[in-house]
Amino acid sequence: MSIGIIAAGIAVLTGVGAGVGIGIATGKASEAIARQPEASGKINSALLLGCALAEGTAIFGFITALLIIFMG
Amino acid sequence: MEAFKQFLLEELENKTAFTLDWFGGIAISQAVVVTWIIMAIWMVITLFVTRNLKVRNPGKLQVALESCVTFLNGFVKDNIGEHWRSFAPYLGTVALYIGLSNVIGIFGLTPPTKNINVTAALALMSMVLIYGAQFRYNGLLGGMKRFAEPMALLVPINLMEVAIRPLALCMRLFGNVLGAFIIMEMLKYLVPAVLPAVFSLYFDLFDGLIQTVVFVFLTTLFAGEGIRKEE
Repeated sequence: MSIGIIAAGIAVLTGVGAGVGIGIATGKASEAIARQPEASGKINSALLLGCALAEGTAIFGFITALLIIFMG
Repeated sequence: MEAFKQFLLEELENKTAFTLDWFGGIAISQAVVVTWIIMAIWMVITLFVTRNLKVRNPGKLQVALESCVTFLNGFVKDNIGEHWRSFAPYLGTVALYIGLSNVIGIFGLTPPTKNINVTAALALMSMVLIYGAQFRYNGLLGGMKRFAEPMALLVPINLMEVAIRPLALCMRLFGNVLGAFIIMEMLKYLVPAVLPAVFSLYFDLFDGLIQTVVFVFLTTLFAGEGIRKEE
């Protein structure tokens, strides 16, 4: 079980990638809105899509960790 | 710690609410019962809101309702294009259902979206919508050709997406709701008063609504991608 806990911890490291990705995307989006405030609607929807896809990896890591802890 | 783990394991199970006696016992899970409650709530709201609709001098409620419907229609129109009309009702219904079922944790009921079977069913329905629309509006051959866009080299990846898109939709919704649920249970176990209320505002309300938007938005976008004409 102790090895399993370490494996779950490693699986949750996927959150790093998602965090960096969403951070960069949000930063760029606010830059783009500052430059072109009239396009904010389109920028927001593109940002939402990107964030949802980036967040997916973190969720997969989280589910993998849960599977390891509770099923393994 | 062991006691908490045991408690969490019990909370994570998909509980059976009651069992029907027909055909040797049909188990009705809690998610189904909560779904019935949600359906009843929306039915009552719908009946209440659509009473006394007028063309002249609409009341405040009617104006609010009309602006909601206009917002939904505009959103679907922007993302799908000319064939938007037949998609708007389904997407609005899914948004209402997922929205209320994510938020219903506040009232002490178990959110149905915590059960992976519910999110899997929703994702399968989205998949049928996306690829059904692709074949419906392009014809059989045109629909097949859509898999070879933007170039023929990408056919395997596009075919893989048929399975990956619903899987990602299902897991995203399920993982978010489950994660929020576990964090809230941990908080309640450690600090039983005050603090959970503050965090519940973020985890139950904000996160749930964001996930609703994401699910509906992704379904709309994928459906629009399949049927939109190249400009």
